Amino acid sequence: MKRSLAALTALLLALSASACSGDDAEESGPVTLTLAGWSLATTPEFKTLADGFRAAHPDIAVELKEYDAANYDTQMIADLAAGKAPDIYVQKNLKNFYTYQNGKQLLDVSDVAGKLGSGVGGLSSYQVDGKTWAIPYRQDSWVLFYNKALFDKAGVKHPDGSWTWDDYATVAKELTTKLKAAGDKALGTYQHTWQSTSQGFALGQTAGADLQSGDFGFLKPYYEKALDLQAAGAQVSFGDATTNSLTYQAQFGKQSAAMMPMGTWYIATLLSQQAKGDADTFAWGIAPAPQATKSTTGTAATPVTFADPTGLGINPKISESKIEAAKSFLAYAASADAAKALAGIGVTPADTATAADTIFTLKGAPTDDLSKFTFTTHDTKPENPVSKYTAPLQNILKDLHTAVLSGSKPIDAAITEAQDRAKNEVLSK
Amino acid sequence: MTTIADTRRRRGRVVARNTAVGWSFLLPNFAGFVILTMVPVGLLFYYAFTEWDVFGGATWTGLENFRQLARDASFWTALRNTLYYAAFHIPLTLGVSLGLALLLNRKLRGVAFFRTVAFFPYITSIVAIAQIWNMLFSPGFGPVNEVLRWIGVDNPPGWTTSADASMPAVIVVGTWRYMGYYMLLFLAGLQTIPAQLYEAALVDGASAWQRFRAVTLPGLRHTTFFITVLLTIESFKVLDLILVMTDGGPGQSTLVLSQYIFQKGFEENQFGYASAVSVVLFAICFVVTVVQFVVNKRRSA
Repeated sequence: MKRSLAALTALLLALSASACSGDDAEESGPVTLTLAGWSLATTPEFKTLADGFRAAHPDIAVELKEYDAANYDTQMIADLAAGKAPDIYVQKNLKNFYTYQNGKQLLDVSDVAGKLGSGVGGLSSYQVDGKTWAIPYRQDSWVLFYNKALFDKAGVKHPDGSWTWDDYATVAKELTTKLKAAGDKALGTYQHTWQSTSQGFALGQTAGADLQSGDFGFLKPYYEKALDLQAAGAQVSFGDATTNSLTYQAQFGKQSAAMMPMGTWYIATLLSQQAKGDADTFAWGIAPAPQATKSTTGTAATPVTFADPTGLGINPKISESKIEAAKSFLAYAASADAAKALAGIGVTPADTATAADTIFTLKGAPTDDLSKFTFTTHDTKPENPVSKYTAPLQNILKDLHTAVLSGSKPIDAAITEAQDRAKNEVLSK
Repeated sequence: MTTIADTRRRRGRVVARNTAVGWSFLLPNFAGFVILTMVPVGLLFYYAFTEWDVFGGATWTGLENFRQLARDASFWTALRNTLYYAAFHIPLTLGVSLGLALLLNRKLRGVAFFRTVAFFPYITSIVAIAQIWNMLFSPGFGPVNEVLRWIGVDNPPGWTTSADASMPAVIVVGTWRYMGYYMLLFLAGLQTIPAQLYEAALVDGASAWQRFRAVTLPGLRHTTFFITVLLTIESFKVLDLILVMTDGGPGQSTLVLSQYIFQKGFEENQFGYASAVSVVLFAICFVVTVVQFVVNKRRSA
């Protein structure tokens, strides 16, 4: 009995001692910010930002908290609801930004936004009612990756930035035929199974297209082209791509396709995979995404494309003493220094112009002028324009996407069904 | 010298101590059950009548979620698909697992190996199963369609990529996955049937079919009922297999209620509405199970 009492007393003392030491650290010691990230072993951007910030602010430490990349928002929403979320957390895309902002899970960071340079892209997506709720540190854009070696093997001229979607389809078919004749199994192009590959471009490049209008007719020409490429054998069929769980990294990296529309985040992945031997070593480049009309093609114009920015927001439950430090971190993440640091690991920062020189000096990166133009010049529309309807509308559009590309439903019927569902299940609420 | 009162007191102390020890073993489990199961279930029923986006408080909306459900075409699609899955998966799994159990209840060489093989799908990762079956079902160059083409089927189905064939494909894989588990339950049931009954039937000249109908099936009645109840609940709650194999598609051809709940709650942050769908799913499972119990009781009477 005596021994039990002694143990209990020791335990209580130990607990109270640790509680006291915790308080002391928070009151007078150096500030430690916690930052959410995902797949830390393979996604070095969070550590790069933390290290860069620490170098400039030695008195503030940044501790990383890892989340699952695929379930990031689900886990983050649960942690925020439970009051256990990190001080700073990432807005992975815009699909859930409304949930966080409307749910009062973001601190107003308008003062940080007010001091940012004009080169930081994607800021407007985080502005609601005249206030800014997150700061972008990455702004990817969808571009066209192409394999220079396969183009040369097929004897097809490299992209020059002048392509419309019709030109792209023609070249994809030509490449397929000529590569086959040259004894290569590679297809002309690979459009991954995501709905973005058709819908993102359609929404971004069609004048007046608006998800909330509930009118999805603007998707039709893009699906007609996607189906045409499948039928011509210039692109793996949707069925084969989904049932065999094809990855876009393997399709392009292992030279199964000569072209691939994809976001600029793939630059870092491709460089790293080529360095490690996970991807073949070949010369590649990036060109502007094909355009809806000739008016936005050519290096004298600004190509229209899409992608959501990636931003950082502050958890409103952060302790008072840490708020200024957290705001400093957000300001650093969007700064020119951070842009260069991110570009140094192949990541596309929100300030692309500042980072272009850095990214194209990386080993294995292309050095041609068109790639540089593509990286720095674009009008990037959001994939998920912020609204309370975004998530449910995107779910309806995902069903449309799978129904059309699998050939289960004709385009018109699928669009009509999606419009009816949007009207009855989402927009009427 | 001990008196009767002393003995009673001592016995009372022993009983009290034993009761305390008993409760100390029970309480952690019981507390866990109440906190982790009963409280969330109770809350679910409350949230079904609210609008709640997880952040902040829920707003009481009465029957509004259920009114919306009645008009929600996707809910009805999910309900139809769930019933479709259950209607085929339950009898198919019952039949296949019983057949396997009968086959592997004999004294064959290597029977333990075959039993293990039949049980294997049940302990294999659902993700691995779904990936492999997806590849087998691949419309372009999957082995299933290769075989069909080889035997002369010119236009084989797209399986998981076709709105018409996706649910049958999922049912086939679902049956394959669970047959080993239910086979094991049937095997246990078969062991309880007295061998004398078969011997008597043989003496009477009963054929194999007659022995099956007159001895095996009645002997397995309780096992079959138990399996049917389990299968029914499992079928109505199917989620993981569909999520990995088809993600509810193409279109909404394999969208089931569990996935719809996940979609509304975790993807669209409408936890009140998702709770309402959960309550409907609970009600369906509850009613079907009660009906099964009533029918079974009448038959047993």
